[in-house]
Amino acid sequence: MDAWVPLIKHVCMQLVALVTLRTYVVRRLILLIPTFFLISIILFALIHLAPGDPIRAMFGPRQITPEVRERLTRELGLDQPIPVQYLIWMSNVLRGDLGYSYITSAPVFDMISVRIPRTVELMFLAEIVSVVIGIVLGVISAVKHQSLADAASTLWALIGYSTPNFWIGLMAIMVLAVGLGWFPVGGMKTSGVTFPTPFHALLDHLSHATLPVFILAYGWAAYLLRLVRSSMLEVLRQDYITTARAKGLKERVVIYKHALRNALLPVVTYEGYSMGFLLGGAVVIEEVFTWLGLGHFMINAATNRDYPILMGLSIIIALMVLIANLCADIAYAIVDPRITYE
Amino acid sequence: MGDRLRLNSEKKTEEVYKPSKATQLFIVWRKLRRSKLAIVGTVIVLSVLLVALFAPLIAPYDPELWGNPFRPPSLWHPFGTDAVGRDMLSLVIYGCSISLYVGIGAVLIELLIGVTVGAIAGYFGGKIDEVLMRITDVVLSLPTIMLLILAVSMFAVRGVHVIMLLMGMLGWPFMARMVRGEFLTLKQSTFVEAARSMGASNWRIILRHIFPNVVSLIIVLVTVDIPEYIFYEATLSFLGFSDISSPSWGILLQRGYIYFPNYWWMITFPGLAVFFASMGFNLFGDSLRDALDVTTRGR
Repeated sequence: MDAWVPLIKHVCMQLVALVTLRTYVVRRLILLIPTFFLISIILFALIHLAPGDPIRAMFGPRQITPEVRERLTRELGLDQPIPVQYLIWMSNVLRGDLGYSYITSAPVFDMISVRIPRTVELMFLAEIVSVVIGIVLGVISAVKHQSLADAASTLWALIGYSTPNFWIGLMAIMVLAVGLGWFPVGGMKTSGVTFPTPFHALLDHLSHATLPVFILAYGWAAYLLRLVRSSMLEVLRQDYITTARAKGLKERVVIYKHALRNALLPVVTYEGYSMGFLLGGAVVIEEVFTWLGLGHFMINAATNRDYPILMGLSIIIALMVLIANLCADIAYAIVDPRITYE
Repeated sequence: MGDRLRLNSEKKTEEVYKPSKATQLFIVWRKLRRSKLAIVGTVIVLSVLLVALFAPLIAPYDPELWGNPFRPPSLWHPFGTDAVGRDMLSLVIYGCSISLYVGIGAVLIELLIGVTVGAIAGYFGGKIDEVLMRITDVVLSLPTIMLLILAVSMFAVRGVHVIMLLMGMLGWPFMARMVRGEFLTLKQSTFVEAARSMGASNWRIILRHIFPNVVSLIIVLVTVDIPEYIFYEATLSFLGFSDISSPSWGILLQRGYIYFPNYWWMITFPGLAVFFASMGFNLFGDSLRDALDVTTRGR
């Protein structure tokens, strides 16, 4: 009977932890709502306080008659007070109606939802690449502290966060794509070619994705490398590492089972920021590689001052980043048993 | 005679008790000198500043002088020439002052607003603090470059000053948050309590007692923010959200991109300049952080 007590205790503690975690998640979800509305208010204010009126923006240099202007003002609800306009817009947004493009008159929601998977694909691949490179190089440079490998990866990281990613992209296109012909110059697939199997099409697609993914991953990998390196160096100084070594454990076991697990804790917190970082990077990278995702779309909309698209994009991107940050916080709460759900 | 004696002794006590600024600077410099990377960073930062200040003296040609277009790098034009035959080296040198001007200008705006708001929010707390934290939440939840593109597209006028202003306006919440954190801890320290018990006013405590302890943090933040702003300016200009009449490094990149991938020198050298300058500032900032013993957590 006594043998059961620790097990029952353990199960009870797990249950308590699960319940507290759930309240934590629910509380964070509830906190998400005011932040989201605040963002929407700020974005709305930004657009409506900006100099120049939307009807002007719609037509650009073309002249319109006063009658048309009056009709449009009424149709677009621009004659209403700004708070009313916000409420109308917000209730439309919540129903998935983000308005229509000034330029093409296509529904903004459809235009955005086509492009989301493309950007998410780029970011997902870049996330994997950067985590692998960042952790591997970070561990190597911490374990072989002050060696040639350490210096090389530190230098590599330094270049990574001191160089604009679009410029690395241009250099890569010039050398690897145009010069050596190893990769396609841009776009998402070779146009005008029918592939024998879907597998060939996938390969073609991946060869187009390689350069943008690696260049997008570079900056974040450089950041992770520094984070893993310093956190690893910190952990390797701890007493329990000395104990593990003194027990006669293999160095590999000490590093991967004892040190790395603990060194990765702070990395998990920072992973939440990767979403914003990679999205920001993707904006410019997509433009350079003509990857027709959200970033490419946003730059076009900004150049044309297509406000409904810009508003819709910002709202959706803000929501994506907020959810990513929430997931990172929850992941951290699960990974680190010491965290208190305050 | 008596006067002279008194003067002498006064001077002596001053020498003994007044902690001189030079000594502190010297301590920092001694720490900086220890690492090779710090020296490299300092040298790069100083040379970038010198190039920016003395661009007209250093540049071999007038950057607006037209000549033979699309010349590859040669002895006469080490960085080649652009589409209308302007010397790329001179353009990059002049671009240095524009890029640095934008970077430093944005940092000054960020400093002015960020430090004031951060100090008030951290010291007094309450409503200001609440509002500040919510604003930072919002700014943090969107990628900076995206907010900048959004904000720039709202303006009818385009140019370096708009970009500078917007970068400062979007950058200050970070600075404010860091300063706030520092004020929050320092206001509970014993020396603040001592000052308050001696009847010092709030403003005196903020300016004379707490602020000097935050200066190191601010210096470090500024040195790592300058390259970031140079970056953002280059990116925005490259994407065509600036005015081509003030050729910063970003504008040079944009001009080169028109003919991309031909004429590699038009893209390569301005980009290298951005890389070089921001590497210098990053190295300098990192070693300054170590030398001044500042932790910039949460960044």
